[in-house]
Amino acid sequence: MDATRKRRWALPDRWSVLVVLAFALLAVLNLMPLIWGVLTSFKSPPDLFRFPPTLFGFTPTLENYQRVIESGFLGNMRVSLFYSGTTVAATLVLALPAAYAFDRFDFPLRQPLFMLVVASIPLSLGAAALLIPNYLYFSRLGLTNAWYTLPLILTAHQLPMAIWIMKGTIEGIPRELDEAAVADGASHFEVLRFVILPLTKPAFGAAGVLTFVASWNEFVAGSVMVDSPALRPIQPAIYNFIGFFGREWGPLTASATLAILPILIAFALLGRLIVSGLTKGSVKG
Amino acid sequence: MYSRYAGLPYVVPAFALLGMVLFSPVFYGFWFSLFRIRYGAPTDFIGLGNFTGLLSDPMLGGIVSRSAVFTALAVLLTIVIALALALWIHRLGERLGFAVQMIVIVPWIISTVVATLLFRWVFVNDIGLALSLARWAGLGDLRLLNDPTSAMALLIGVSVWKRIGYAVIILLAGLKGIPDDYEEAARIDGATSWQIFRRITLPLMKTPLLLVAIVLTLSNLNTVETPLVLTGGGPGNATRILPIEVFDRAFVTYDLGSATALALAMFLGNILLVLAYVRLAKWKA
Repeated sequence: MDATRKRRWALPDRWSVLVVLAFALLAVLNLMPLIWGVLTSFKSPPDLFRFPPTLFGFTPTLENYQRVIESGFLGNMRVSLFYSGTTVAATLVLALPAAYAFDRFDFPLRQPLFMLVVASIPLSLGAAALLIPNYLYFSRLGLTNAWYTLPLILTAHQLPMAIWIMKGTIEGIPRELDEAAVADGASHFEVLRFVILPLTKPAFGAAGVLTFVASWNEFVAGSVMVDSPALRPIQPAIYNFIGFFGREWGPLTASATLAILPILIAFALLGRLIVSGLTKGSVKG
Repeated sequence: MYSRYAGLPYVVPAFALLGMVLFSPVFYGFWFSLFRIRYGAPTDFIGLGNFTGLLSDPMLGGIVSRSAVFTALAVLLTIVIALALALWIHRLGERLGFAVQMIVIVPWIISTVVATLLFRWVFVNDIGLALSLARWAGLGDLRLLNDPTSAMALLIGVSVWKRIGYAVIILLAGLKGIPDDYEEAARIDGATSWQIFRRITLPLMKTPLLLVAIVLTLSNLNTVETPLVLTGGGPGNATRILPIEVFDRAFVTYDLGSATALALAMFLGNILLVLAYVRLAKWKA
């Protein structure tokens, strides 16, 4: 193992040039639009229209951010934080017991119900196709345009994936541990709380981060299910800015930068978890 | 040792939510689609009238075939590039490999609205970075968003760019699951790299490849954000694909009857595609 790692790390010289080039190309392709957008957000109109465009030779300004914030963007961010936070909490609270039961208990319809969960993962991916029926149904029940509308929908969309990821981890926890706890007089719920939960932390984190990213980034449900500007989450707000600011790329890129910020912070802190969580939840199932 | 129903309380809350948000709207939507709709309310029963109305719509054929071309090309390109990247990362050392993974995943974690907005800023007609670079390189005026073919190509390109990270992570997980000895044994027997890839790696990657194909197909087929923000369906109708059409019928022209019918037809298409993929993968084994 150690030998192969070393071999993989130290490539022959002619290859290492190619590796560095490929790495650089990838970095430019993937990060350039982001960097260019962030730079633009600090430019004043004369610098924006300068030809050829400048990377660094301009006087940075905060006026774009000022204008975006004046049009109420921080309110949208706050609402989005609320939606994403409640969605993460609800998803985790609902997914853990379900994953536990699917792995540890044998109840009627266990197999078909789990298949339904698995089938719901692509179903929630195709949520755009389901959105009109969903909208009609929710407006008939009077559930649109409320503070709980989007958390309900987003939680349902993220739940199947979270159950799958957590079940993958619970499978790896030896059953002897819960059996010993039961022998000592613990109830099922206590087993879940004191044996399973502490050992599920990485999956918990991964599901949490993925849920946060997905709900923070959600656009379609957010633009259809709620009308009032006070309830409008961040992505539809940015889309509205395209109409509002028109071709003013300063404010537009400023709003984009503000929207990326929380995601990049979460990613910097928990990027490893995203990778391992996706890996566990997908291939082992 | 557990009661036969002990597991049920743990899964019931999750299914209550899934039933309410994900499953019942499908049935309600179908019921709703059997009526003539005026001002958002069903009036008289017309059976499959909304569906047959779709068939006689002269615009719809073009939209469907455009959606098919867009989805097929985007999925194919994403898988090919992601597979190449995953194979490459798998051969890199741990640290460099992780750095590449992180760079590759960045476009995937930022929202589609923001990512697409940033691309629109790069390619925008009058002052975009791409136009400046093309002029600088002596390529003349590069206005990709003005021409039907290049606008579609750009739409595909942005969709591929956005989703490669996800595909790489899943495929990489699959690659890591293949024991090293298989490759070594084949090498000792004198197999070439291509033979190893074709006969060992690809067959063992069936599950992750299937998963990636399903997820990519559904997410591309149902994306509203990318065309809406990048091209708005234009120029003309060159990038008008199904999700935009559903969105417009429902929330711009308020033709809820045909929007619901079209959404349900799309949903049915989603399910049929998933089933086809699963059948195809089994058949190949």
